[in-house]
Amino acid sequence: MSNVIIANNLTLCYESDEEIIKDATFAIKKGDFVFITGPSGSGKSTLLKSFYGNLQPKEGSLVIGGLDMVDIKKSKLQELRSHLGIVFQDYKLINEWTVEKNVVLPLWISGYSNEVQETQARRLLHHVKLSGKENKYPLELSGGEQQRVGVARALSKNPFLILADEPTGNLDDYSSNVIWDLMENACQQLDTTVVVVTHKIPSVFNIPYRHFTIDEKGSIYEVH
Amino acid sequence: MKFIKRHISLIFPLVAILLGIEFFIVFDRTTDTYEQSLQNGYTMLVVSKEEMSIDDFKSWDDHILQVAEVEKSKILDKINIDLKEAKSKSIQNSMPNFYSVKLDSYLNVKDLNSVKENLLKSKSITRVETFNSVYESKYQLFSFIKFSFQTFIVFMTIIGFFLIVKQMEVWNFLHSQRMKIMEIFGASLFLRSKVLINMAFIDALISAIVTNGIFLAIQNMWVRQSNMEILKDNVELIFSFKDIFILSIVAVVIVMVAVFLVVINVKEE
Repeated sequence: MSNVIIANNLTLCYESDEEIIKDATFAIKKGDFVFITGPSGSGKSTLLKSFYGNLQPKEGSLVIGGLDMVDIKKSKLQELRSHLGIVFQDYKLINEWTVEKNVVLPLWISGYSNEVQETQARRLLHHVKLSGKENKYPLELSGGEQQRVGVARALSKNPFLILADEPTGNLDDYSSNVIWDLMENACQQLDTTVVVVTHKIPSVFNIPYRHFTIDEKGSIYEVH
Repeated sequence: MKFIKRHISLIFPLVAILLGIEFFIVFDRTTDTYEQSLQNGYTMLVVSKEEMSIDDFKSWDDHILQVAEVEKSKILDKINIDLKEAKSKSIQNSMPNFYSVKLDSYLNVKDLNSVKENLLKSKSITRVETFNSVYESKYQLFSFIKFSFQTFIVFMTIIGFFLIVKQMEVWNFLHSQRMKIMEIFGASLFLRSKVLINMAFIDALISAIVTNGIFLAIQNMWVRQSNMEILKDNVELIFSFKDIFILSIVAVVIVMVAVFLVVINVKEE
């Protein structure tokens, strides 16, 4: 199987020059479900940010979906991002847009027709158990519901890679289960690669997964 | 209410700027006409021992536009002395030549004196009468009005720009989160700013229409009914249809620059 993410001696740091991730080498294959865990401040979210080009590698190389992320051009990065599904702990929904419009944001960006957008929005909102809430606004929903909208948005364009940063961090069990089910299905049925940054791997998880952990020094290990 | 407030906060400063620009254009046109009328009504008198052509005059100063010889007989008529024809002829022959000289623009007093000095360099010219005091008082009044009005317009435009900068901060607050999210999902710069561009474009056109409307109203409801001859005679200068395009283009350019500055300053977190 082909590799979706390849990191070689990857070092990440912010402007302060303090190295957050040090000399990381790993590969994630197509269809892998990966959990990345580690203590607070260890650099889990930083690593995830580098996967969608929010942070440039300081040293080493990082290849996502065949694209070298070192000094990647803006147009290439936009193209890459339009094929990713990203889920944030703070949801990052557009509050002045309806739930439906939020869900189809990736399709709208890629210029899909209104019909396709509507059909996909209905289908995904049904899957995240939010049918009938198409015309609500994010702030009219609970936290769990907002995160389910975020997951529906991440899945709307059938991305080859889903990146999730603490997707169930503050959610109730019902919403958490809905989200894990959706991600499991995407991974199993659509062969989508899923990378989830979390403090704690869910106790009940129905599909095989890989587990990476980051220690306080920023080194990454795979847990077998 | 929120919607109206959001639009008014851009339309208001834009209208202030456009009013400033349109006032400037109109004032410039009106003062040009007034300046032209002052210039047309002004001549200096030059006394020369010998006959001179316009080229002779121009060789001494570039500002000379027209030269007309004042007939000596008319001067004698004005003096109103009853002379016999023979005597009159002999006086006329002994009289120097008088020229009424028009200039190409309405010069300030310093330049007017410089023209006088240049002409007096000619050995033929014995005297130049510039009618300095009348000219100066008209010129000073004209300059003062022009300066006061232009200062007011500049002040109004600066305030308008400050209000737009304030509005840019509001835009940044209202739209940056959406633009950041869209950028994460791969939206181009144009898509990210589309909402802002649409809103700003509509506001720019509304502002241009409002400003044009104000000037049309001034032209039709105030100037035509006023007693100000200079304005009534030049009523078409108050508003011309090309101003609609000038103001619309200026408004659109201002808002697009403002939108561009807001959009490029939104940085991904």
